[in-house]
Amino acid sequence: MANPFQQPHGSSSFMGGGDSASPSGLPPTQRRTSYASVLSGATSLSRPPRAGTFSHLLNPSPDSEPHSSLYTAAQSRFLDATASAQQARNAASGMAAADDYMPSSLWGPPRPGARLPLFSRAFDPYLNRDPMLLNYDSEDGLGGSSLVPGSGPAPATFLSPSYLRDSVFLGKLREAHNAKILADREGHLLLHHHHHHHHNGAKTQSGPGGAGGVSSGSGGGSAHHLHGGSKLPSGSHRGVAYELVEKTLAAEEDDALSPLPSRWSRDDKDGGLEVMNDGYEVKYVGRPASDHEACAIRADHYMPPQCGVYYYEVTILSGGKREDTAIGVGFASKSVALQRAPGWEPESWGYHGDDGHCFAAQNVGKSYGPKFGPKDTIGCLINFRLGHALFTKNGDELGIAFRDVSFKDAKGKLYPTVGMKKQGDHVYVNFGQLPFQYDIDGYMKKQQKMISENIKNADTSKLAPSLSESELIQQLVLQFLQHDGYVETARAFAEEIHAEKKALSLNPDDLIPGINIKDDEDANNRQRIRRAVLEGDIDQALKFTKTFYPNVLDENEQVYFRLRCRKFIEMIRKEAEYNLLLEKRGLAAAATKYFKREEDDEEMFDVSGGGGGGNVGHNWDADNAMDTDDAFDGGAAAEVSQLSQEALAYGMELRSEFSTDPRREVSKHLDEIFALIAYPNPLKVKEVAHLLDRSGRAAVAEELNSAILMSLGKSSRAALENLYAQTCVLLEDLRQDGGDGAFVTVQHIIDEIPKPSLL
Amino acid sequence: MLTATPASREHAFEARVAEVKAPKSDMNALILDYLMFEGYSETAANFSKEANLQPARRDPTIRARQAITISIYLGNIETAITDLNEIDPQILDEDPALHFYLLRLQLVELIRKCNGGDITPALEFATTKLAPRAAMNSEWLKELEKTMALLIFPHNSLAPELAALLNPDLRLKTSRQVQEALMMRRTKRREAAIRELIKMRAWAEETARANKLDLPDRIELLQDHDFAKFYEGLITIPTIR
Repeated sequence: MANPFQQPHGSSSFMGGGDSASPSGLPPTQRRTSYASVLSGATSLSRPPRAGTFSHLLNPSPDSEPHSSLYTAAQSRFLDATASAQQARNAASGMAAADDYMPSSLWGPPRPGARLPLFSRAFDPYLNRDPMLLNYDSEDGLGGSSLVPGSGPAPATFLSPSYLRDSVFLGKLREAHNAKILADREGHLLLHHHHHHHHNGAKTQSGPGGAGGVSSGSGGGSAHHLHGGSKLPSGSHRGVAYELVEKTLAAEEDDALSPLPSRWSRDDKDGGLEVMNDGYEVKYVGRPASDHEACAIRADHYMPPQCGVYYYEVTILSGGKREDTAIGVGFASKSVALQRAPGWEPESWGYHGDDGHCFAAQNVGKSYGPKFGPKDTIGCLINFRLGHALFTKNGDELGIAFRDVSFKDAKGKLYPTVGMKKQGDHVYVNFGQLPFQYDIDGYMKKQQKMISENIKNADTSKLAPSLSESELIQQLVLQFLQHDGYVETARAFAEEIHAEKKALSLNPDDLIPGINIKDDEDANNRQRIRRAVLEGDIDQALKFTKTFYPNVLDENEQVYFRLRCRKFIEMIRKEAEYNLLLEKRGLAAAATKYFKREEDDEEMFDVSGGGGGGNVGHNWDADNAMDTDDAFDGGAAAEVSQLSQEALAYGMELRSEFSTDPRREVSKHLDEIFALIAYPNPLKVKEVAHLLDRSGRAAVAEELNSAILMSLGKSSRAALENLYAQTCVLLEDLRQDGGDGAFVTVQHIIDEIPKPSLL
Repeated sequence: MLTATPASREHAFEARVAEVKAPKSDMNALILDYLMFEGYSETAANFSKEANLQPARRDPTIRARQAITISIYLGNIETAITDLNEIDPQILDEDPALHFYLLRLQLVELIRKCNGGDITPALEFATTKLAPRAAMNSEWLKELEKTMALLIFPHNSLAPELAALLNPDLRLKTSRQVQEALMMRRTKRREAAIRELIKMRAWAEETARANKLDLPDRIELLQDHDFAKFYEGLITIPTIR
């Protein structure tokens, strides 16, 4: 077995020759023959006096105050404390019986946005044994009720550090992740002959970390997975997402989209270190190191500059005194020797606990911060935009340690790294799977705010030199309205702008030229077609399109196919709506009977309500309500069956029409929508209901509108759309090296618009 | 690499832009937000109908806000203040700067009216309404002094700084101040999302150019034939100046 401690050091040339002070920065201390004995001694320490005060926190009584935020420093400290406790315990008990007390996944990365896992009485045994919690006071008054009971292991987790949650970069990673899951599931489903695989883009997209500028809203998404290929999460920008999927599936480490560091690497480490606890912990198990040696380990992935800021924390789990530990935290490129502490070598930077010095690619450090040791949590932050790095200790910022523009140099891929010198040295790493002790979210917000300030003061006059900002916006809006065929709206807008201009004019006799909204026949036609689609009347839309633009459907087979499919969906939708209405009416009827029997509603079957309906009787037991009126059910059943028959017939027609189409996405989409038939009421089935969503109409309408515009030789995009897309691309460029663009997204702007209440 | 040949149009940048999806749902949201935010009530109503959209919530103040804008544009500042107090009774008390600038505009309008004639109403307004407020803040005091100078000099030979006060731009500016303050109090947002978007666009280009990123010489909002239409003909809005 290779023993790194007996090998001569190739890197010894980096040692300063004959320095009287230890050049390592880790001065020699007396060595213990068995550090492990000290550590295991920890278990026999007496029960910490304050441990008892924790039990009420861990076992919240029902009336305990809910805690307002999951991310207060106090709480994250608590979490970390608990995490540390777990690690320590694992260490003490040799990693054995931990699972008896808690789900092992508890310490895995939580689901993004998930609430905290259950802390139960099961913790007591180890808490009571654990000396590390002494570090933390219970004065925080944490109400346990914010901890969701029963939230079990989270499968297929996606690492989503809080401070990156809204970033485009993380959005892309998430897209790639979802695409991969989808692809996996698809394969699985194919095997099992399942039908209702679906693209969850429209729904996931609106999540807290929206994929940013390149993601689409709910409407556009579903329209596009058809083009994009099967693995595309809908709602994604085609080009980018497709590329991402391809690449991330093909190659682990990729220039465009490298995953975040998530674990310690099991391979990229010195032999004296052992990786434990699912890759979150690393422990020094080798023989004592000489002065100029250390054992280092790197994370599995480098810190992507596109994040703008990268941050991780290391908690020292070693027992005993500070003097017994010698740990360095930092980052280094792949080429740095693993027998050296972070910071000693070129392309390596680190903060060392035994002397509090920081080392910037050389043997001699400089005085930086306090020493650190057992129970301390050290954070390491790289700001790629500003080209500096700093550390935190137990949540407090220690000031800038290094300034170096090469951090953002894409070639110098930098990995989180720790180095250790003493037996028993033992750390837990938080790559964002848990809340951080340091308020990195606040730091990130400050960075974003700086940039927002710059944006707020931006000069827009160069966009259209002849116009003021307000006029430019008016033009953009008006041009969009005309382009998209919103004739009445454009006219109303022109009038309102005109009224404003007139009011502003000092001389009432001045002639203010009106805005000439041409009575554009095309616009009118497109408007009629759009309206038909939006109302779900696909037949009408097809008829209009064939009349006004006879070639469009022939030349845009894709659009034609979508329209036909939408018609089928509308038929299913109608049936489902009708079913819902019947159910509601049934319930209402039951309720009515119960309250006042004289009520005899003859308009019970009026479908024109359009699914609005009231919530009448929704508290009633459905079974009881439904079997109260047999006649009612009988008539309705006939209606429904008729609708169902029609849908089926149309579906078969559709299928035969496109049966010869070789494209996989066509047959796939057909499979997807035909599966709707299988459900008694697809509107009630979360997994497929989105296929019926009204937003799908808008998507089809826009696709058709674009096709018509193209056929007329007009730009398929309005100026506002260009401006939006240009902004996305510019920001993309600005975030490549972790610059300004990493901190802002177009999606933030869109997200600030109050969401319309749903129908 | 500054080639103005037609080939330069096919810059990689443009190709990438074409690849980015600009979702209609986002566009519609931007438009409706703008119309609601800036008080284009008729347009907003039409748009909701035509595009099948629902506003986040009906804003009962949209018409009142629009009326205030028009009142200010017309120079009827007293009416505007009354209406403003109606939709937000606290706003002027809690935002003394806004109150001052509204009253200052009112003074300008009074001075405009009495051009060459009796200046008593303007003088009285200045001493009773404005002077006590202006004393609280040196900047306001300067503004008041500047405004009062309009009474002394003939309006056709004013220094540019003074002439600017009589320009309708002051109404525009004050109106925006009012709308922004109102909306900030109502929605916690100062401006419509579309304003942020175009600022972000301008900033991003400027920053990218400063960083010497590879961009076309000019990034047009619209290409080719549509471009000319966009700026000149179809929509003629006279520029005020």
